[in-house]
Amino acid sequence: MFLHYLKVAFRNIRKQKMYAAINVGGFAIGIAACLLIALFIQHETSYDSANPNRHHIFRLVGEAKQNGQVHSGIAFPAPMSKAILNDFPEVEKAGRIMSNSLFGAANNQVRRPDQQNNTYEQGFAFADTSTLEILDIKMIYGSRTEALKQPFSVILNKSMADKYFPNQNPVGQRLIFNDNPRLPIIVGGVMEDFPTNSHLQYRGFISLAGVSFWDNEQSQWTASNYDIYLQLKPNTNIASFEKKMTDDVVDKYMVPAMVAGGQKNAKESFKDTRIYLQPLSDIHLYSYNIEQDDTRHGDIRFVYLFAAIAAFILLLACINFLNLSTARSANRAKEVGVRKVMGGSRNNLINQFLSESLLYSFLSFLTGTAIAVLALPLFNKVSGLYLSMPWKEWWLIPALIGGALVIGLLAGIYPAFYLSYFKPINTLKGNLSLGSKNGRLRSSLVVFQFSISVVLLIGTAVIYKQMQYILNSKIGFDKDQVLMIEGADALKEQTTSFKNEVLNLPVVKNVSVSDFLPVNDTKRNGNTFWEEGKQQDDGFALQHWVVDENYIPTLGMKLIAGRNFSKDFHTDSSTAVVNKALADKLGIKDPIGKIITNGGEHLRIIGVVDNFYFESMKQQVTPLCMVLGNSNSIVSIKIKGADMKTALATIEAKWKAFLPNQPMRYTFLDERYAAMYIDVQRMQYIFTGFSILAVVVACLGLFALAAFMAEQRTKEIGIRKVLGASVAGVFTLLTKNFLKLVGLSLIISIPVGWWLMNQWLQDFSYRISLNWKIFAFASLLMMTIALFTICFQAIKAAIANPVKSLRTE
Amino acid sequence: MIELKHISKWVTIGGKPNFILKDVNATVNEGEFLSIMGPSGSGKSTLLNVIGMLDEFNEGEYRFFHEEVHKMKEKQRSNLYKQYIGFVFQAYHLIDELTVYENIETPLIYQDVKSSERKAMVADILDRFNIVGKKDLFPTQLSGGQQQLVGIARALIARPKLILADEPTGNLNSKQGEEIMNLFKQLNDEGVTIIQVTHSEKNAAYGKRIIHLLDGRIEREE
Repeated sequence: MFLHYLKVAFRNIRKQKMYAAINVGGFAIGIAACLLIALFIQHETSYDSANPNRHHIFRLVGEAKQNGQVHSGIAFPAPMSKAILNDFPEVEKAGRIMSNSLFGAANNQVRRPDQQNNTYEQGFAFADTSTLEILDIKMIYGSRTEALKQPFSVILNKSMADKYFPNQNPVGQRLIFNDNPRLPIIVGGVMEDFPTNSHLQYRGFISLAGVSFWDNEQSQWTASNYDIYLQLKPNTNIASFEKKMTDDVVDKYMVPAMVAGGQKNAKESFKDTRIYLQPLSDIHLYSYNIEQDDTRHGDIRFVYLFAAIAAFILLLACINFLNLSTARSANRAKEVGVRKVMGGSRNNLINQFLSESLLYSFLSFLTGTAIAVLALPLFNKVSGLYLSMPWKEWWLIPALIGGALVIGLLAGIYPAFYLSYFKPINTLKGNLSLGSKNGRLRSSLVVFQFSISVVLLIGTAVIYKQMQYILNSKIGFDKDQVLMIEGADALKEQTTSFKNEVLNLPVVKNVSVSDFLPVNDTKRNGNTFWEEGKQQDDGFALQHWVVDENYIPTLGMKLIAGRNFSKDFHTDSSTAVVNKALADKLGIKDPIGKIITNGGEHLRIIGVVDNFYFESMKQQVTPLCMVLGNSNSIVSIKIKGADMKTALATIEAKWKAFLPNQPMRYTFLDERYAAMYIDVQRMQYIFTGFSILAVVVACLGLFALAAFMAEQRTKEIGIRKVLGASVAGVFTLLTKNFLKLVGLSLIISIPVGWWLMNQWLQDFSYRISLNWKIFAFASLLMMTIALFTICFQAIKAAIANPVKSLRTE
Repeated sequence: MIELKHISKWVTIGGKPNFILKDVNATVNEGEFLSIMGPSGSGKSTLLNVIGMLDEFNEGEYRFFHEEVHKMKEKQRSNLYKQYIGFVFQAYHLIDELTVYENIETPLIYQDVKSSERKAMVADILDRFNIVGKKDLFPTQLSGGQQQLVGIARALIARPKLILADEPTGNLNSKQGEEIMNLFKQLNDEGVTIIQVTHSEKNAAYGKRIIHLLDGRIEREE
């Protein structure tokens, strides 16, 4: 019986190639999208799942309210983890990671003692031995408990170990960091590379044993630089532990430390502070609102969003199938009647039609899987992930088959019941007014399809606009034509002469030496400052950047008051140029001459620059001051003219003359700036891709429906033309209804799109406003595409010779 | 075999009943060859459909092998006609996607006949109708007469007691029509009860009995 059904289904597909292609094509696209997104979701939700103790491991997150806004962070004082371990029996292990680049974490120049050339290596962090245990770091060489015991020891990951010590056990070997041969780093062990689905991606851990980044740093409660991981005993009540821990840390340690430092109402400032435990497996997806978390994270909202998009695209394809099956029911009605008369029961027919939709579904799954495999490299490139089809997993094939079954039944169930309901007496006489009967349902489904497509189009347009805004808006500095040479600290005392020689090159406009730049992965230094004469309690967080006197002109920042640093003023060592946000913070119209202090440093404000974005536009510009000083690992060079190639060659030649052993490592400021918004960019690409898919699927359906309607109305059109209807008249007749449907879907989708994208834009402190142009654009685009889709059929029907169509009737 | 008592069927148009069948009384015995005649719109096809249980009636009693059809639910009715009745249509109504062989086989599939048995039965009837050579062709590749032959073969395959034919020769030329009518006659001689609806006096004459319908009533019998 089933074979019989399959045979008939196959022959139907062969007979109706166009409709079959549209059904299978639409489904396949939907399935490919679903598969890719399923892989993405599976990867995103698999983070840190390998750790056997993951249910008892937590990262500490601090949360504080300021001016009604909630700020979260993961940096805590150095002595805190030990304090918590001592104070609470619930804590089994506590460990720290210090990744602040100010103190030698993150990036280092590395070489073997016998090598001449330094290599720039990223991904270092300081860590406790206990951290290795909590994170279940797997060692290849050396022991986890011993590897970091000695001061100045390091654990390398396998790929870095292979690079410096190929084919050998490097434990006990030495490495020179940052050209400092007096302080060699000893390899204590080699660990496996972090899997791609770990929230940490460090390549080396440096020992925290005996480390003190400044005097008494390890016992100081007023500076926060450490991420803390805890492993709790099983059955600990998390909520009550969080409360106890917060109270303990604040009352016993933080407040006394701040009072001792001169802050009187310290207790008051912790009123809305809370320290909570973030489960290990939540870190990847639920850290999007944590500021200053330098590990790259996913975002659960994206997971939901993409899941929804995938489901919608598949739904659109199902609707195509449903619409085409019911619309074309006239073609099958006779068959239904005959089969019933020949003894087929309704169940027989339902089974037959379901087998047919299952066949479509399986064909589509085959095609869809093939498309997904082919599109995977592109998807990886766009999303920045390394996904692969899990062919080796036992569940893949059953999951695909199960999916095909579910989709086949889902799409086929309504048509099956609808078609099998026909009474033979009606269908055999041929007087069933088929096709038009369920026109309302079909229209609603078309409206639904186009509403979703339009929402996606609006989303695409808004994201594109915001990205353009980010890339092209006034960001407060001139990112173009600026070359950043990194690793310039290798120049040491020659820095100034290098700077001067480059400055004299004809292709160079200006040169500045500073590690603090308004792009990611450059230095930051947050401090608490207050206006001299006021209380420390009135202090605020201030970025304290060390620059040179060429910094402001090189980056094209705009002075709005006062002056830049100058060699002519010898007193400039204790002066600062501040940004407008600081001036606003101080609440003074003319801050020139005012003095700010952090207790140790007293800085007289000599100039104010307009605000420039130095963090993502998702955050407000915060107060910042620049002081003169030496911060020499990045040289920024503003190039004159457009010939970047020649400029680069000349500068590189100059670099070679100074440092023949170290290749020049450079990036461009504008590229680094764009890289800060890589997630927005990716979102834009992915959104664009999926909206195109959705529109394609919806239009496939529309095309087939239009073809069918034209076919249905052949006779009517013939009669109309004989009676004198013009080609234009017939064209209008055929397109009008469809365009009405698309119009209706615009009315539905524009408010939805507006609301959704408004929500999305709330993430950005600096954002575009949603204006009518975006919606007009999306509407016009959709209308055009829809019209284009149906006009082929409509024109074909309209210019057909009526004699022919009437004769065939 | 068939007993119709006071069968009436009507549709209401503008509040007034418009009769399609009015007080039809008839009895058909096993082995009969009955022709129903009448002008267009006289209700002859409707009567055939009522007998075939494809259509319902509003009033009256219908007994089929002493079973009271008018009291049955639709499912019981369709089980009954599947078992006893084969249909032949004016427009043949073959399934375009199936070959001649498969078209004939279909009723057997629905009756859960085993595959080997099906093969034998279909081969038998193909042989008998002399269409073995056409078994792998599709309906569109056949002439009208050949299609109707397949239609009759399909109606016969499940060995029904009764064949209902609605203008079986209506779409055929006279030579083809004659062949089909001779076939019916032959089947009737073998014991199959046949009821046919026809326009043509000549074809009606093949029947042993003729009922003339006019405006839904039996006008006369001969």
